[in-house]
Amino acid sequence: MAHILAIHSFRGGTGKSNLTANLAAAFALKGKRVAVIDTDLASPGIHVLFGFTPAAGQFTLNDHLQADASIEQCAHDVTPRSVQQAHGQIWLVPAAMDGDRIARLLREGYEVEKLNDALFTLSEKLKLDLVLIDTHPGINEETLLSTAIADCLLMVMRPDSQDYLGTAVAIEVAQRLDVPAIRMVVNKLPELFDPQQVRERVASSYGVPIGALLPLSDDLLTLASGGLAVLMHPDHPWSEQVRGLASHLLETVL
Amino acid sequence: MVPTVDLDSLPMGPLSMAGLLALEPAELRRLLKSGLRRGLSSDDLQALLEQDWQGGLDTPPVQALLAALQQRGWFRRDGDRWKTHLG
Ligand SMILES: Nc1ncnc2c1ncn2[C@@H]1O[C@H](COP(=O)(O)OP(=O)(O)OP(=O)(O)O)[C@@H](O)[C@H]1O
Ligand SMILES: [Mg+2]
Repeated sequence: MAHILAIHSFRGGTGKSNLTANLAAAFALKGKRVAVIDTDLASPGIHVLFGFTPAAGQFTLNDHLQADASIEQCAHDVTPRSVQQAHGQIWLVPAAMDGDRIARLLREGYEVEKLNDALFTLSEKLKLDLVLIDTHPGINEETLLSTAIADCLLMVMRPDSQDYLGTAVAIEVAQRLDVPAIRMVVNKLPELFDPQQVRERVASSYGVPIGALLPLSDDLLTLASGGLAVLMHPDHPWSEQVRGLASHLLETVL
Repeated sequence: MVPTVDLDSLPMGPLSMAGLLALEPAELRRLLKSGLRRGLSSDDLQALLEQDWQGGLDTPPVQALLAALQQRGWFRRDGDRWKTHLG
């Protein structure tokens, strides 16, 4: 059965979607079969990083949760060429982008249990090694479910006082749900910050292992979610660290 | 020690993730969490009950607990798996 990796943060804009998409590529470059699920149904966006836009008639997660499309019909192969050469594969389950569909989902809701079952059906049908769940920031029914079913939770934060406070809440929730493994990822670390001090503050705040400290990067800002840094700028320190995180996770918890 | 749950004080009505998160004791959350994903086989459930509740499927306190969960529609056997039901 596939391992489930949930990528979450208490506050928005920490870099979850960029991290999720790049980790998916890093895993697939190691030959893994990976699915990325956009559970940020209120404000989806990770499809952009894969250069994918659902065309008319192509199904999204909403079509499974609120209608009768099978989850396999909602999974689209977005494997970049260089990843194909490494014999990995990436499927994306995007969320609907049009306002009417988002409003309908928020208005009518859906059964979260259907999301649970969908992940496991997809993992069997596509013989997946890994399922990566990109989440909405904060705490809601989907993020609680993703946390509860994860083999590993990556908690992303910036070295910002509001993030420190909010992340404590999300970690407490994860611990109440007995998540088997949690790793902290600090993203957008300014060059002026002393990494050792940040490491120590994070370690003493949460008592959870640190998976990676990722630099604030002008190149990532300029890329502006227009592609996958691990493929476009493989030698960039951010990309190197993301690949290092992927290796660490495979060696320790996935 | 066997965890104590006041079965009558468990709320009625469907289970949400927020509801699951608020439940006490930790063993009850763990049981319901274990029924997510693919659910539990009878052997998995038996092992979990013995570890957390000091009794298998055939002991009266465990039977009372499972009956209370089933009555609420939170946890029940579907075919050969025990599953937690949300919503
Ligand atoms: N290390 C970094 N350095 C500079 N910019 C970054 C870095 N990581 C992410 N970004 C930028 O931050 C913005 C937010 O990133 P992203 O969408 O991945 O965050 P998110 O946590 O998914 O946001 P949301 O909570 O809205 O879903 C994007 O413009 C992205 O390019
Ligand atoms: Mg996002």
